[in-house]
Amino acid sequence: MLPIVLLSVFGIVVLFLGFSKSKNILLPATLLFLLVTLIANFVDWNHQYLYFNDMLWGNNASMVFSGIVLLSAFFVVALTRGFEQEGEAAQPAEYYGIMLFSLVGAIMMISYENLIILFVGVEILSVSIYILTGSDKRNLRSNEAALKYFLMGAFATGIMLFGMALMYGATGSFVISDISEIIGTRAWNEQSQLLYAGLLMLLVGLLFKVSAAPFHFWTPDVYDGAPTIFTAYMSTIVKTAGFAALYRLLAGSLASLQDYWFATLATITVLTLLAGNVTAVYQTSFKRMLAYSSISHAGYLLIALTSLTAKSQSSILFYSLAYSLSTVSAFGVLILVSQQQASNNYDAFNGLAKKNPFLAFVLAVSMLSLAGIPLTAGFMGKLFVFTDAAQKGTIWLLVVAILASAIGIYYYFRVLIAAYFKEGDLATIRIAPFYKVVLIIVTTLTIVLGLFPDLVLQLV
Amino acid sequence: MNLLSLLIFLPLFGAALVLFLPASQTKYFKWITLGFCAVELLAAAVVYHYFDLSNPSFQFVEQTDWITLSLGSLGAVSIDYLLGIDGISLPLVLLTGVVMLVGAVSSWQITSRQRAYFSLYLLLTASIMGCFLALDFFLFFLFFEFMLLPMYFLIGLWGGPRREYAAIKFFLYTLLGSVLILVVMIALYLSAFDPYSSLNAQTIVHTFDLRYLADGHNYLPNSLLNGLSAHQIMGLDARLFLFLVLFAGFAIKLPVVPFHTWLPDAHVEAPTPVSVVLAGVLLKIGGYGFIRIAYNIFPDAAAEYATLLGILGMVSIVYGGFNALAQSDLKKMIAYSSVSHMGFVLLGVASLTPEGLNGAVYQMVSHGVLSAMLFVVTGVLYDRTQNRQIEAYRGLAKPMPAYTTLTAICFFASLGLPGFSGFVGELFTLMGGFQSEFMPKWIATASTLGIVLAAAYFLWTLQRMFFGPLWTQKGVESLLADLTPREKIMLLPLAALTLVLGLFPHFIFDITSATITEFLKKFSLN
Repeated sequence: MLPIVLLSVFGIVVLFLGFSKSKNILLPATLLFLLVTLIANFVDWNHQYLYFNDMLWGNNASMVFSGIVLLSAFFVVALTRGFEQEGEAAQPAEYYGIMLFSLVGAIMMISYENLIILFVGVEILSVSIYILTGSDKRNLRSNEAALKYFLMGAFATGIMLFGMALMYGATGSFVISDISEIIGTRAWNEQSQLLYAGLLMLLVGLLFKVSAAPFHFWTPDVYDGAPTIFTAYMSTIVKTAGFAALYRLLAGSLASLQDYWFATLATITVLTLLAGNVTAVYQTSFKRMLAYSSISHAGYLLIALTSLTAKSQSSILFYSLAYSLSTVSAFGVLILVSQQQASNNYDAFNGLAKKNPFLAFVLAVSMLSLAGIPLTAGFMGKLFVFTDAAQKGTIWLLVVAILASAIGIYYYFRVLIAAYFKEGDLATIRIAPFYKVVLIIVTTLTIVLGLFPDLVLQLV
Repeated sequence: MNLLSLLIFLPLFGAALVLFLPASQTKYFKWITLGFCAVELLAAAVVYHYFDLSNPSFQFVEQTDWITLSLGSLGAVSIDYLLGIDGISLPLVLLTGVVMLVGAVSSWQITSRQRAYFSLYLLLTASIMGCFLALDFFLFFLFFEFMLLPMYFLIGLWGGPRREYAAIKFFLYTLLGSVLILVVMIALYLSAFDPYSSLNAQTIVHTFDLRYLADGHNYLPNSLLNGLSAHQIMGLDARLFLFLVLFAGFAIKLPVVPFHTWLPDAHVEAPTPVSVVLAGVLLKIGGYGFIRIAYNIFPDAAAEYATLLGILGMVSIVYGGFNALAQSDLKKMIAYSSVSHMGFVLLGVASLTPEGLNGAVYQMVSHGVLSAMLFVVTGVLYDRTQNRQIEAYRGLAKPMPAYTTLTAICFFASLGLPGFSGFVGELFTLMGGFQSEFMPKWIATASTLGIVLAAAYFLWTLQRMFFGPLWTQKGVESLLADLTPREKIMLLPLAALTLVLGLFPHFIFDITSATITEFLKKFSLN
């Protein structure tokens, strides 16, 4: 609750700060605001709360989810460097303001109790991201991406809203716990058909947001077209918030119908894993590969969701954190390299290790974590997700996931091959001290969480 | 700090030292590496000194809680930092000490990016040691998979012309192996529990402790891997199925035909010291995994499939031998001879007899020493002429007499001449094969063909390359200088070692026999 208020106020403050002549204050101010919100996020620690006539709900787990979102936002904002290199057309105050507002949406998606709040949250987050995607106004690709995302996104939200309406028709309530109660009173074959239709449509809307196949077609174009910094922003924050929302929906109100939705979601999981991993192999652009990799990671997260065991929540939480950390550092390196080389392709990384060993190392840890190699957070995340599937007894799903992760090695290592094994003429890249500190923190966290995952897991 | 932890953390410390020394100290990197490898061998020797040969169970055990996760209503899972050593791992730890030291000397010729090379090399040493010492399946898996990384970079950065292809092929193959192991690991921990902690904590504590996993009583009733429950996967009993999955995982590492195709590529492209380590130690982790993990946890399935595994061992022996015969590249020939020789390990393990298992461990040590020597020998020639083709040389004996002598020694030792270690390993594994109640005799009979083939390809190569009048394909006679002192330092101790082990095989058998006798009791019950 407090973070929502704070973020809204801070967002407006940042917009007004934009009027001042000194643009240099924007970045530190935004970072400070995020830090304050991050701390305020945990004031309700160990209390379960309900606000606004059961609109918002929260407990430790939702606070940790919000914490992950805020932390990722903090890192990404720290990597913006005040949008200095974007030139005259950039409007930093607006960007920072929109980023803060979008976080309001993300936190609402994480801690909704009423489906209306979920809808409002999704809209706030999505509209902000549409704008940020198109923020590179003179770039046609960026415009195209924004329009594409907006049109398809609007369609998906429409379907989601329709689903909510149907669920309301079936149960007479928008409140998660009430829906759960009403469903609980009937056997699965006595449920209203409206409920099933509504559930499916609601899932379609949310799965679109987390780019699960077959609703993933927007992802590569949007990721590719958007300015890289905002790609990093959306791939971490939308994913985490989206999965928190999905988990809350399925675990909070529809757990008793697992037999019903399991087949659907399991099919989507397999499709997502295959679509993401197989298509990623064929990419020549690192940025586009990361788009497909984000699809495949949605697949791994879906495994935990589909299995829905007692441990699923902590698995999703840990996995989102691991994924967000590695994604931030991958994009962080990409931003620097693509600026130097004016290209997002694998070839741009040729010979990175020779003159920029630090960047190459950050990139290596991030790729290893995304690929799930031991001693990185990504490995632990995968392990937890896989044990969920095993616990549910779906060995075939586990086998698909493991084969998919073996494919993953191939494309994650391509950029390492370019960075370490290929010859290139990449000069030494100057890294701002603050930028470097962020990369160091993210990389260290990735390794530390790979060694001691219970640091985070014991929180929930 | 406990001795076993020291074995793991010493090289790590060395790697950190190399990593953080200023660039002006580059010339000392190899000396530091050499020093750490020497101390490592010394530490392994100290472990051997204090090791109680008559005690079949784990010694020097060291246990610290590492990760504890609560699973809500499902109990908890505890992952321990758990190390220990017994008669099966001790010979391999000693072997690792020797081979890594030789590899360090062999690394002298590495001139580019020394900081990266030597820190990766020490990192590799640490993870190999970790593999042999870990008693927690999870810990073992971490070391097992982490080992791929330094190996990947060592091949990919300092390898031959097709190094990228070889490195990624190596990585993908072995990674596929380790994900297979991961599947079984997940299934195992869901089924098994730690009886003591569970009693204290009043809840089910799942465990990765190999000592508990090996005991059938510690499996939850009606769980997937409980011996009494009748779960099936794809029409097979769950235990049998998962044993095969685990077996395939380690078979890629050993390598067993048909999972061996990564090995020749990796060897041909890898620089000499990396080849030495790869053949000398890394392959042994596959064999060690069979004994320590697959057979230990699934004795019932191992007995059930003894014939199948024996046949795979035989196929590796014969197929590897024929392939070696057909190679024109000296290094590839040796790579295939490795496939053939590691087949004996599988045959011995599959036989489930004392001779076979003792022989298998012995064969791993013997092959570790011999293959290290063989790859050093290849490297010597390659360093001088950049050409490894067998038909490019004739009459090398004339300009390089010392080299020829040592090559002849290691060729004869490898082909199983009595008096050298290769003979003892092959003899015992074959004896195991003949005595086994679990597999038919024809398997061992057919495997003896491998010895004939070994004699054929080694002697033929010796004859083609070293005897007759001096001739080289590209007129590089002037480059053919005899062994340098550094090369002698590598080859002579190894030659002595294979002779000593061949003449006094009880050095190894004294270590292994108590543990293996105890180990085989699992199988006599069936």
